Amino acid sequence: MTKEIICILPCNGLDKSLGVIAREVSLKVIEKMPDVQLICPVLLNNGDKKYENLIQTSKIVIINGCMTRCPTNLIEKWKQKPFKQIMIPDMSKKYKVKPSKDLILNEENIKLAELIADEIVNDLNKNDQEKDIKIREFQEQDYFDITVDKYYFTVPKEGYFFNENDCWIKPEGNTALLGITDYLQNAAADILFVDLPELGSEIEQFDDVGSFESSKTVLQLISPSPGRIIAINKSLEKNPELMNQDPYLKGWFAEIELKNFEEDKELLMNGPEYFEYMKNKILKEKNHLDQIKSERDV
Amino acid sequence: MSNSYDADKETFMGAPRTKIPWWPTIDYSKCDFCMECDKFCPHNVYEKIDDDVRKLFVKNRYNCVVFCRACAKTCALDALTFPDKKEISQLIKKLRSEKS
Repeated sequence: MTKEIICILPCNGLDKSLGVIAREVSLKVIEKMPDVQLICPVLLNNGDKKYENLIQTSKIVIINGCMTRCPTNLIEKWKQKPFKQIMIPDMSKKYKVKPSKDLILNEENIKLAELIADEIVNDLNKNDQEKDIKIREFQEQDYFDITVDKYYFTVPKEGYFFNENDCWIKPEGNTALLGITDYLQNAAADILFVDLPELGSEIEQFDDVGSFESSKTVLQLISPSPGRIIAINKSLEKNPELMNQDPYLKGWFAEIELKNFEEDKELLMNGPEYFEYMKNKILKEKNHLDQIKSERDV
Repeated sequence: MSNSYDADKETFMGAPRTKIPWWPTIDYSKCDFCMECDKFCPHNVYEKIDDDVRKLFVKNRYNCVVFCRACAKTCALDALTFPDKKEISQLIKKLRSEKS
């Protein structure tokens, strides 16, 4: 069997401490796993042929220093999905290490880089990703739909409840699936990466459950209900596009154990109500864009 | 995204948006004015003023999407805070019941 090639693409933002940390993380990963190949973002951006084959055939770990997400945007040009994506600000919060602003690495920044590198190495060494994926059976849904310009939006007619943050909940007994609506996936465009919640974690109503990222933006899934995370859709890590292709079924994000859904429902909309809400929102945005366009054309 | 947001006419979950105090607070003792939050937010919530000592301000507080805290994720220094979600949802429930 051919050994899988792993490569690491860090931010190289040398004018910010976060960029310096990202670079240090990649060097530490290579120190721990010498077979990992380092991709220079500057050379990659220059369009050098050196990386063409490597990017298309290997497992890619991306390390973003800041929200400009240069490495993510570079990979997007090749239509590749990263195996893992790190955002240094997220990691500093996770490990409770505040990065200093110094451009020269100090003790704290080195410590943070070490912790992140260890996490990456652990994930790369895990071989159980596939077995965590449970296949769920879904029944076909009936949808309300509307087409605006080239965009097509759907909303399930029943069984789902929605918040005004364009996220849904589908209760089934004392558990419920969570996901994003067709409107939100359209707004995000091609979803490239998901950050799923930890199993067992407790969330409040309207907490962010996790985030998902496209080449355009990073968005959060804001939970319509409180509860404990009892399952996550691991298949999204490999196929995040399911959130675009099938946002109400195969693109589910997480499953929670409900507390008191009757009370949660008070601040939620059912299918017909959300469809009206979404339609108004889309038409308002369209009018606004048309107005800008007509002012520009004058 | 619309920048010409008319807050007085907007509602969130049936409550007037202007009665929901949800927007970021900047802790100036922590902020290093990297402007990542401003670059990230598509709703024009922040304003950058280069000539001011503080450089970063919350300009359009009602543009902020209630319960969204995505900009805080961009801040490695934890300089952005938001109100308590539970208190805000209780307030929304109260405002809705007053309306009905």
